[in-house]
Amino acid sequence: MGCQHLRTVWASAVAALAAAATTGAAPLPADPLSQVESLPLPPAPHWVWVNDFAFSHMANGKAMLVDGDSGRFLGELDTGFGAVRIVLSTDGALIYSPETYFSRGTRGTRTDVVTIYDAARLAPVGEIEIPPKRSSNMPMIANAVLTDDGRFLLIYNFNPAQSISVVDTRARTFIGEIDTPGCALAFPTGARAFFSLCADGALLKVRLDDSGRGVAHERTAPLFEVQTNPVTEKAVRRGDTWYFVSYDGTIYSVIIGRDGADLTAGPHWSLTSDSERAQQWRPGGLQQLAVHAGLNRLYAIMHRGGPETHKDPGREVWVYDLDRHARVQKIPMQHDSGSILVSRDAKPLLFSIFIESNILDVYDAASGRHLRTVPDIGTTPTIMVGP
Amino acid sequence: MNRLDKLAEASVRSVARRTSRRSLLASLGALLVGGAAVPLLPIARGAEPPAKGAARNGGADDKAAAKAAALQDPQSCEYWRHCAIDGYLCGCCGGSQHSCPPGTEMSAVTWVGTCHNPVDGLDYVVSYNDCCGKSTCGRCLCNRNERDTPIYIPFQSNDYNWCSGSSKGNVAYHCSTARIVGQAR
Repeated sequence: MGCQHLRTVWASAVAALAAAATTGAAPLPADPLSQVESLPLPPAPHWVWVNDFAFSHMANGKAMLVDGDSGRFLGELDTGFGAVRIVLSTDGALIYSPETYFSRGTRGTRTDVVTIYDAARLAPVGEIEIPPKRSSNMPMIANAVLTDDGRFLLIYNFNPAQSISVVDTRARTFIGEIDTPGCALAFPTGARAFFSLCADGALLKVRLDDSGRGVAHERTAPLFEVQTNPVTEKAVRRGDTWYFVSYDGTIYSVIIGRDGADLTAGPHWSLTSDSERAQQWRPGGLQQLAVHAGLNRLYAIMHRGGPETHKDPGREVWVYDLDRHARVQKIPMQHDSGSILVSRDAKPLLFSIFIESNILDVYDAASGRHLRTVPDIGTTPTIMVGP
Repeated sequence: MNRLDKLAEASVRSVARRTSRRSLLASLGALLVGGAAVPLLPIARGAEPPAKGAARNGGADDKAAAKAAALQDPQSCEYWRHCAIDGYLCGCCGGSQHSCPPGTEMSAVTWVGTCHNPVDGLDYVVSYNDCCGKSTCGRCLCNRNERDTPIYIPFQSNDYNWCSGSSKGNVAYHCSTARIVGQAR
């Protein structure tokens, strides 16, 4: 320590004493050691989890938690190679994360697990090993979903054989695989039922027994045209209806009947008018639809471009009444939007991210007013989930 | 500048801003795609309307020459074989348009596109085999989605990490090649 530095320290100490003498205030107490924050449960309705695919360094994906009301970064989970999404338990107390690891970082033995995290401490409390074949793809909500009762976790496999791994979250065990040849992803339709999307536009309906084993498979007739104007995998659900959107912006609905196994095609309608289609308005993005059950609203990221722009971001979110199939609002976006999520509460927020940026935009979902922009959210934010 | 030039300018932004399996940071995109070469609009994208703010004039001859060069440059996103690619170009990572960089492994299965070669006027089936086993290369990221399908139609989808099909069960993705499989008929 040099003389100059010593003089600085003494000068600071003298100044502090003088200040204390002036104000009469007691000096600050020492801070506690090893203090670690924890989060209240259940999660607040305006919290949002943002998945970071970490594309330039895929071995250490993340899930990042942000409070939409304050913009405060609350914490994160490290979710391994090619992280697609986390899944929140129904009561919000636990988080299930399908993860992939290699014994030597990016090489060596591959191990796939579902890590169970305590949602308050954001720390692992359990781990369930699953077959090392979890699909590695651009993150999609349908990569990993819970059955409607929250008990069974369904995880899409692709190597390139296609199947679904079933995990019992109550017993914390891997149950088994359900083969889904020619069909991808999982869309829950009940406590013991889901469907996968097939390459010919059909749905593969699967029923589970109470132990989580697949007991019945049935393929519907093709419901979607897949050659020129396919529906994306980026569907959203409101109650008993799944809403899919095609490249040209046609909404196709799949209505869930009794026991979740009776699926029928509902009405289809367009997000755009004839003149808007002529101007090549269409939806785009990675998580391009959102829904709010209470408001009965569908939200879609819109842009202008040709058929091959189905993954492009947009600068507008168009809002539709799901009963009338009519647009009721246009929300201008502050920045390019590739993924949106609307919180489920009565005063919902609209969240927006884009993989080529690292900001989170927060809007009032009812008025469309931009509330805040949260900076430095990972490196390649992909999709979002909320409580 | 003719209409095609305007459209090409529009594609600078759209190519760099695709949201897909392997997309790039905006700044990186501007540096790698916008700065490395003047991109050329792929033939099949001629119907796309010009983007707001597209450049309007100047250097038409230079741009035409740059476009022609980019179409034949395997390190350019506009290279004719790249019409449905999504990933880091192996030619920028120590490999080439048909070979993997040292120490990596080529995926056995992958997705394919059909691309038009403007030199001989023929269409070719191009296989975008990934090179696997090391961390992401991070150079020359390129994403074009001509005839790209959702992942429930796997073999025309560029949203999968095709290293999932490599022999060692290893999914570490490094870069993507663009191999000619044969002439499309």
